[in-house]
Amino acid sequence: MKKERNQAYKKRITQALATPRLQEALHKFGDAYPLAREAAFEGLDFEALRQEIGHMKDGVRENIDRYLQQFIENAEGAGAKVYVAKTAEDANDYIAKLAVERGVKLAVKSKSMASEETHLNKALEKAGVKALETDLGEWIIQLAGQRPSHMVMPAIHMFKEEVAELFGRVTGQEESPEIEHLVQVAREQLRQGYVDADMGITGANIAVAETGGIALVTNEGNARLASTLPKIHVALVGIEKLVPTLEDAAKVVQILPKNATGQLMTSYVTWIRGAVPCGDEDKELHIVLLDNGRSALAQSPHCKDAMRCIRCGACANVCPVYQTVGGHVFGHIYIGAIGIILTAFFDGLDKAAEIVRACIGCRACVAVCPGNIDLEGIILHLRGVIGEEEGIGLGKSIVFKKVMRNRRLFHGLLRAGALLQKPVTRGERTIRHLPLYFSSLTEWRTLPTIAEKPLRDLIGKHSKKLHKPRYKVAFFGGCANDFIYPETGLSLEKVLNHLNVEVSYPEKQSCCGIPALYSGDRETAVELARQNVEAMLEGSPDYVVTTCPTCTMALSRDFVENLQDNPDWAEKAEHLSSITMDVSAFIVNVLGEQKAFEGLAGGQKVTYHDSCHLKRGAGVWKEPRELIATAGCELKEMNHSDRCCGFGGSYSFTSHPDISRRITGDKLADIQASGADLVAMDCPGCLIMIRGALEKVDSDIGAIHTIDLMAELLEGGVNPA
Amino acid sequence: MSNGELMEQFIDRARRIQARVEQVGGVGEVADYIRREACGPVWLAPSPSMERLGISEHLELVRDFGRAGAMDRCCGLTGVNFALADTGTLVLESTSEQMRMATTLPEQHFALLDPRKILEDGLAAVPHLREFHRRAPRNYLAYISGPSRTADIERVLTIGVHGPKELHILLLEGLSDDLYEN
Repeated sequence: MKKERNQAYKKRITQALATPRLQEALHKFGDAYPLAREAAFEGLDFEALRQEIGHMKDGVRENIDRYLQQFIENAEGAGAKVYVAKTAEDANDYIAKLAVERGVKLAVKSKSMASEETHLNKALEKAGVKALETDLGEWIIQLAGQRPSHMVMPAIHMFKEEVAELFGRVTGQEESPEIEHLVQVAREQLRQGYVDADMGITGANIAVAETGGIALVTNEGNARLASTLPKIHVALVGIEKLVPTLEDAAKVVQILPKNATGQLMTSYVTWIRGAVPCGDEDKELHIVLLDNGRSALAQSPHCKDAMRCIRCGACANVCPVYQTVGGHVFGHIYIGAIGIILTAFFDGLDKAAEIVRACIGCRACVAVCPGNIDLEGIILHLRGVIGEEEGIGLGKSIVFKKVMRNRRLFHGLLRAGALLQKPVTRGERTIRHLPLYFSSLTEWRTLPTIAEKPLRDLIGKHSKKLHKPRYKVAFFGGCANDFIYPETGLSLEKVLNHLNVEVSYPEKQSCCGIPALYSGDRETAVELARQNVEAMLEGSPDYVVTTCPTCTMALSRDFVENLQDNPDWAEKAEHLSSITMDVSAFIVNVLGEQKAFEGLAGGQKVTYHDSCHLKRGAGVWKEPRELIATAGCELKEMNHSDRCCGFGGSYSFTSHPDISRRITGDKLADIQASGADLVAMDCPGCLIMIRGALEKVDSDIGAIHTIDLMAELLEGGVNPA
Repeated sequence: MSNGELMEQFIDRARRIQARVEQVGGVGEVADYIRREACGPVWLAPSPSMERLGISEHLELVRDFGRAGAMDRCCGLTGVNFALADTGTLVLESTSEQMRMATTLPEQHFALLDPRKILEDGLAAVPHLREFHRRAPRNYLAYISGPSRTADIERVLTIGVHGPKELHILLLEGLSDDLYEN
């Protein structure tokens, strides 16, 4: 079962990757969207707006029964019939039965993700009722027999030629693949449907408890027609759409179009309260409130924030994985980051198990979510749940449980690895080709070797004796700096010593636990959190500095979360969190010493890559740029500087190397187009990926960690490549 | 913002979303404009302000097109309750079915707005939405921003899929300062 599921999933990935036009379409949108979005929010404080939406939605979740009751009373008071459907089947049965009882032959539908979720069309068909989708995108995919690949733009994966062929089958003549013409064909073909239909089915973007009314946010005008012309109107509404008041509804209307498509406002917002006139009588309005797993989501301690979602689809719009494979791979019914979470609750863990691992963890979605949902955090949690249910794979299980939890064994194996790798490294620092089974891993990038001597054996040897140091800091190296790039740790020591800061390297520190956590092994992550909290606080340092932002997130976020249930450990973890920061943030924000590097560079052209966890995890992106620019380098910004490099830890090695490869390819193109000679970054993971990709194409552009760059400048020179 | 600034912002935002906005001086100019632009018979939705203006003396109008009739080329003509400056939005109390049909089925929609009835934004509109609810417990309120549009094929913005292909907003001062009539 599991194996078949995984094979089917891998097949979908391969198919998507073999469709270059799909990536082209998704990239085109991915490029246009952030600009349109930024323009739409001009003059508004997005952070404040999303805080408000988040709080408002939390309030609804905490008092859901009260608001549901208020909504139902008000809607019924205005002549609507309200039905609360516990499951998808309940909703479908109610609507199908109603249609049969009223003798409905044709129902026109406007776009409703809730009806996709319940597979309403199939249920209606079974009952002998034809459901006609009237949203252009939905009609296209209905004709094609597919499912939406985006919540807001359901047919974003299709091309005009395919649409022309589908429409031609309806009209019985050849239709030219001009978009304007195709839109006109849809207008003409669907028109009669509104008049002929006895039932109009819509979703709703908002349900207002204060009034018992619903609001529809649309562009095409079909929802207005579907809710006006037929004598019966059925609105299928997920209970997460509830808001308390009209003010709250206005706030959702304000943010939704801007975040969904970068529009200031959609063409139509339709507010419907109760049974309004229809011909000579009143309309028959049925509101079906859909639970189908939403109550369980609302009650989940770790996932409940997902109830804040307003279904804008932005999490997919900015997702590098979505841009690479589209919504038919990265989603089930709902797509993108929120799709992973909703799928787990609406359709079950089994349906979510594969896509839960497809998230690369870059947090681009978290930065644009209008409900301020920590989507990545919830996905990580679900990965842990699935890991516990299904196991995380025998190989990973042995590595994490038996090896990683035992620091001496783990580090001993890494040291042994440094010797064992010799046949393939040919004595160089990078591996250009791996033999046999592993060859695909080095097809598109070189891989760094395990360093001959780890940082822990090297650091402290050349540290300066400081007279009255300003601070004592403990350096958390992380596996990558300890065993792959020890020179970065030495650079940190050199730079901080130069700035009169004492650096220690606590011997007992071990892996930060993120690889285990991201693979769904929370237990190992908790054990490592304990070991590291103890190790790092041992010498009572003033600060703990890092050169790996993923480790920074572990120390400042995950340790606190993972140890919160134990009061003794929780306090220590909180303290560690409060004194931990990335080294560039430490130099600029704590020491204020950016001037120490002033003029050391001679105008080298440097572009900067924002590491996901540094920018969106630690909120650091200005600081390294300030260091680079103050030093006298010419900063040449690349496009999409904060787009993921494709690393994602084991994502790029074992779980999704094919997707990683494409994402890295995009990054490489942006770096090459920047006109820089050197690309700087503050993450050893990104360095593995970017340096490896540049080396593989024999690029002249060098890749460097910012702290290495600063150390080299202090030494008096920079050698780009 | 002053009335003038609100009007300026409204015109700018409405034009950005492909609405055509024109300031007119009186009923004669309104009639001339519509005669010049209309693609077919003009369907007037119930509107106290337009009746007061005496539009029917200047323009041949259809009062009830019916469902089937609206399949042909025609244009809808409506008043406007009020507008929102920040998004170029018209707010129409549309509980009357004639109002809804005249603004959804035709290819063109002509809307007459008194520029004194332009509010700042959607939040400023809320007390008035509430008042609509008080006056008519069962109601259908429409925000209309530009013509009907879609980007469902290859993300290319295309105007006029199911609703009007053209939205003409005629600004006529003195038409009405009552936010609860159109």
